[in-house]
Amino acid sequence: MNHESSKMVITARSQGAVSHDPRPARRMRGSVRAGLAATMAIAAVAVAACGGSSSSGGGSSAGASGSQVAATDSTPTQGGTIYYAHEQETPCLTGGWVQEAFIERQYADSLVSQETGGKIVPWLATSWSISSNRLVYTFHLKPGVKFTDGTPLNAQAVVDNFDTWTNPKTANGDVNAFIVPYFKSAQALSDLTVQVTLNKPYAPLLSTLSQGYDGILSPKGLARGAAATCDDPIGSGPFIIQKWNHGQDIEFVRNPNYDSAPANALHQGPAYVNKLVWSFVANPTTRYGSLTSGQSNVIYDVPTADWDAAKEQYNVAQYITPGRPQTLDLNTTHGVFTDQQVREAFAYAANRPAAVQSAFDGEVPFNGNGALSQSTPDYDATLADAYAYDPSKANALLDQAGWSARNAAGYRTKDGKVLEVKLVYGAGSIITDEGATVLQDLQQQWKAAGFDVTLVPATLSQLFSGTYSTPTSYDATIGYWTSPTPGVLLIVWRPWDSKTAPNPNNASFYDNPEVVSLIEAANSASDPATQQADYDKAQQIVVQKAAVVGVYTQTTSLAWVKSLHDVWIEASQGEPVFSDAYFSK
Amino acid sequence: MSVSTPTPAEVAAAPGGAKGPSPSRPPVAGTPRRSLRIARRVGARLLGALAVLWAAATFVFFVQALLPGSRATLLLNEASGQQQSYSKAQLLPVEKEYGFNKPLIVQYLDYIGGLAHGNFGTSYTQHQPVLTIISREVGPTLVLTGAALAFAWVIALALTIATAKRGRFVSALGSGFEIVTAGLPYYWLGVILLVVFAIDLKVFPVQGGTSLAGLVLPALTLGIPLAGFIGQVTRDEFEKVLDQPFVTSARARGMGDLGVRLQHVLRHAVLPAVTLSGWALGALISGAVIVESVFARPGIGNMLVTAAESRDVPLVSGVVMLVAVVYVLANLLVDLAYVAIDPRLSGA
Amino acid sequence: MSSVFSAPSAAPPLAGRPISLPRWLRELRPGVTLASFVIAFFLLAVIAPSLLASRSPYAVDLANTLRAPSIHHIFGTDESGRDLYSRVVYGARESLLIGLGATGVSIAISIVLGVTAGLSGGILDGAISRGIEVMFSFPVLLLGLLFVAVFGPSITTEIIAVGIGTAPGYARMIRGQVLAVRGSGYVEAGRALGHRHRRIVRRHIFPNAMRPLVVIFTLGVGQSIVWASGLAFLGLGVAPPSPEWGALLNAGRNFVTQAWWLEVMPGLAIVLFALSLTTIGRSIQQKLEGGLAR
Repeated sequence: MNHESSKMVITARSQGAVSHDPRPARRMRGSVRAGLAATMAIAAVAVAACGGSSSSGGGSSAGASGSQVAATDSTPTQGGTIYYAHEQETPCLTGGWVQEAFIERQYADSLVSQETGGKIVPWLATSWSISSNRLVYTFHLKPGVKFTDGTPLNAQAVVDNFDTWTNPKTANGDVNAFIVPYFKSAQALSDLTVQVTLNKPYAPLLSTLSQGYDGILSPKGLARGAAATCDDPIGSGPFIIQKWNHGQDIEFVRNPNYDSAPANALHQGPAYVNKLVWSFVANPTTRYGSLTSGQSNVIYDVPTADWDAAKEQYNVAQYITPGRPQTLDLNTTHGVFTDQQVREAFAYAANRPAAVQSAFDGEVPFNGNGALSQSTPDYDATLADAYAYDPSKANALLDQAGWSARNAAGYRTKDGKVLEVKLVYGAGSIITDEGATVLQDLQQQWKAAGFDVTLVPATLSQLFSGTYSTPTSYDATIGYWTSPTPGVLLIVWRPWDSKTAPNPNNASFYDNPEVVSLIEAANSASDPATQQADYDKAQQIVVQKAAVVGVYTQTTSLAWVKSLHDVWIEASQGEPVFSDAYFSK
Repeated sequence: MSVSTPTPAEVAAAPGGAKGPSPSRPPVAGTPRRSLRIARRVGARLLGALAVLWAAATFVFFVQALLPGSRATLLLNEASGQQQSYSKAQLLPVEKEYGFNKPLIVQYLDYIGGLAHGNFGTSYTQHQPVLTIISREVGPTLVLTGAALAFAWVIALALTIATAKRGRFVSALGSGFEIVTAGLPYYWLGVILLVVFAIDLKVFPVQGGTSLAGLVLPALTLGIPLAGFIGQVTRDEFEKVLDQPFVTSARARGMGDLGVRLQHVLRHAVLPAVTLSGWALGALISGAVIVESVFARPGIGNMLVTAAESRDVPLVSGVVMLVAVVYVLANLLVDLAYVAIDPRLSGA
Repeated sequence: MSSVFSAPSAAPPLAGRPISLPRWLRELRPGVTLASFVIAFFLLAVIAPSLLASRSPYAVDLANTLRAPSIHHIFGTDESGRDLYSRVVYGARESLLIGLGATGVSIAISIVLGVTAGLSGGILDGAISRGIEVMFSFPVLLLGLLFVAVFGPSITTEIIAVGIGTAPGYARMIRGQVLAVRGSGYVEAGRALGHRHRRIVRRHIFPNAMRPLVVIFTLGVGQSIVWASGLAFLGLGVAPPSPEWGALLNAGRNFVTQAWWLEVMPGLAIVLFALSLTTIGRSIQQKLEGGLAR
């Protein structure tokens, strides 16, 4: 069945721009490093779940779905080991951090998969139907699928996973943020039929479920508790975690019984390679070196400095992550940015596209729309040039706002106060070194306009202990949240000072009921045109109020040796997929 | 680092001061009195070691417990991947689970009591007993520091034997090398070795892992500065010993130069360096943090950076305790080695 | 040295057997002269960097990023097109500030601990000595990481962390010094001969107490810079766009295969500076020892 009720499917107007890799075949490139902001579920790893059920069945929706992948020219051969050098090691192998989603994609299957452009295709759910009031989703699971511990995948297993995700004690940060405001219940109707009930319509639901975080894990495995699930989660995916050598790598072996690839995979059945060694190499130079020295076949996040060389010598893929781009959040409730004119001046005062171009050497695009990344469905392209570099306008705005005097150092002052901006960023974790270079370049331009910008690199522990979560702790910050749907807007713009559910992700501390109701309307809309209009309006408001100022897209790249074929990047989070990859002789 | 000086006072207090090596005297016969003295000395040392470990644990506990910010917030944020503040009601369950709501002194006693029973707690981030994590990670670091120490000694001794008192030019070359290498920062040396030998020449793997070939560059990075350091100390000593009468007499008996250097001089010349090797451990462990980062090598150093960043109190404490144990043990060993090499000291 | 291992070998406390200067240094005064020039250069860079570098260390030039060393940019340019030579010159101030500050903290702690322990003896001495041993069990970088995690990366954090981390070595040295002087034959003989207290202090205690301090200070600054830049190398140092040397090294790491100068030049500055301090420190040490011997 496959009713993917077309209404539900998010229209994809824009897709990641993305340079194609040499193999025209794949267009998916994904990437992502979701912000911590996004998730990072660490401690409380999802646990739980159980279920069981059915099995068997052959690949239903097989076949490379056209939009995603094209056929390859050579015949796949069996065997070999892929040595993949990734960047950050996660505390757990499952959870709500995008880095964990990358790993989870290797050993777990999700209910559905999303193609570039937003189309949802079958995966563990071979078909689904949506009630007319759009509150009830009925998923029909593929029969015959077993988790790699032998537990059958059935409706109860899926229910158990939902319970785990939404239980505050075991919540998966990412799944939780997307689903909980809408989730009512999940129940097993029959062995292979699951019904998910919402409390109000939620258009992005399927898209959300396609992400690696939402991989369905063995209920028996979840029942072992948080620690075991953290270290050795069990899914039904193409690879099985054999050993996690902390600080070094994860060794995966192929799941010989795998027959539940998503409809957009290049082939059904077990992976071609025998092993996948997923190592952690944080330093970019070392990571690229491990590719050039032949120690790795594939590396993640090719350093900008090596990008041109990599394009010549290797297969490369790049994916502009949908969701919230790397965006400056200006603190609207405290400090100099409470004045909208000052916020606008800040946006006009720096040549953001030039700084991004220079620091990333063209590898990563500028994203002027601070609300959504250009690869997100329903991204409003009219905001791409918002606040184009205009120093005289910036100066005029600041003069109007009363910041007309300058001190000896050239910074603007008002009533004896200097125009100071404390810009906090998660150095190394959220903002890469290239990103930090962008900020330094911008800092000099802001200085010319009279802003005294102090860059404050924050450590993970500072971010996690909430040092920079309060309105008085910064004037500006920068961060992103990868998401395959514009539904992320609600995660970001829910009121931060709500009594009932304060929203820590609203880093501008910008509360606007109109924005929230627009997003909520769009999330629940049945008509794509209305939905798009509402999302657009919401983007326009937050950008026009200069609560956010877009900088660049969260973009990730892969490079792999020419003898390796059919590595691709899935579209929801940009997770690398190795189950179709094979070595040529 | 913090390699300290060979406790001058202790050395000075030893009979004969530390006036440089002198030809060894026959060891004092093993009388019961001497055994008793040695036993008491060992006992006192062990007690001292325990006191040091206790104080280290105390220090670590209080530093981390008194950190600004809330540990419960940190834990919740790590769990959810978010950066936010929580209400008291939200924090309470976590505080209860980890005992943060107990009076500090109770938390402290729990902590010390746990340590006494070998319970280092459970990692906040990895959900495993700290000892399990440490014992899993410590191997590669011990191998690295051991190999570095070995490299350092080999280089330093070879250099000393080859160049000490070999004429102005050769000597200057040797000691010049030592001075320069002892001053090389690990990160700089490591990056340069990595670029030259792994990335450009491809002689060694870029990503060494725990393979033998992958050990060479990291161990050299750690070992070369230490070699310069040991070399300086050894050379001074070595040159002094070369002037000793017994060396002259050995030569007079027709012994070859190399033979003299190896058989007679070396034994005396290495004493100070042996002591310093114990102290060098602190520097080596600090260095390991950097070297493991440069070479993407697994180990305690890498884990430490992550654990400190995420304020994983039990894990950081565990590492500190481990370093303290290693440090204390190493210096006990050094003491014993000293006694073995220079029997004069055993009577002290 | 002057790196991590310096303190010990360099200032080997007396009591007996000072570790002497390498012969070549003793004979090659030019080494000291050269070192003096290097130090003078960096001191000038601290006081008046604009005399040495005409460009601003912060001036971004997006049209000229990652340029190799040339006549225009003798050290090349970085990823923002900033002149690396200017950055190294201007970075001297912060780097030296950290080095001096950390050494100051270190010496203050070590004098208090060392002198108290050395003069008091008995239980207090035992307690302090144990305390010093406890401090030893914390490698500098571990302390640094801990402090950074608590207070966030800043110059103050680095100074305090490195200062505390390097203190135990000095403290033990000073304690030994005090003990040695207290019980030294010179002092006893001086007393026995009826020399006045002042004379004893001037002739014996003062030189003995000062000698390690002067040397420690000289060597310690280099050592502290090396450690602080190690923290910065791990990305936990001062905030950008500061041209502090460790921060330059950290930034240069990513370009080491394309733009070697970004890593080599600041590294050279640190090595050269530390080496020069060592050379001079040892020269001072030698003079002091000579004076004592007389």
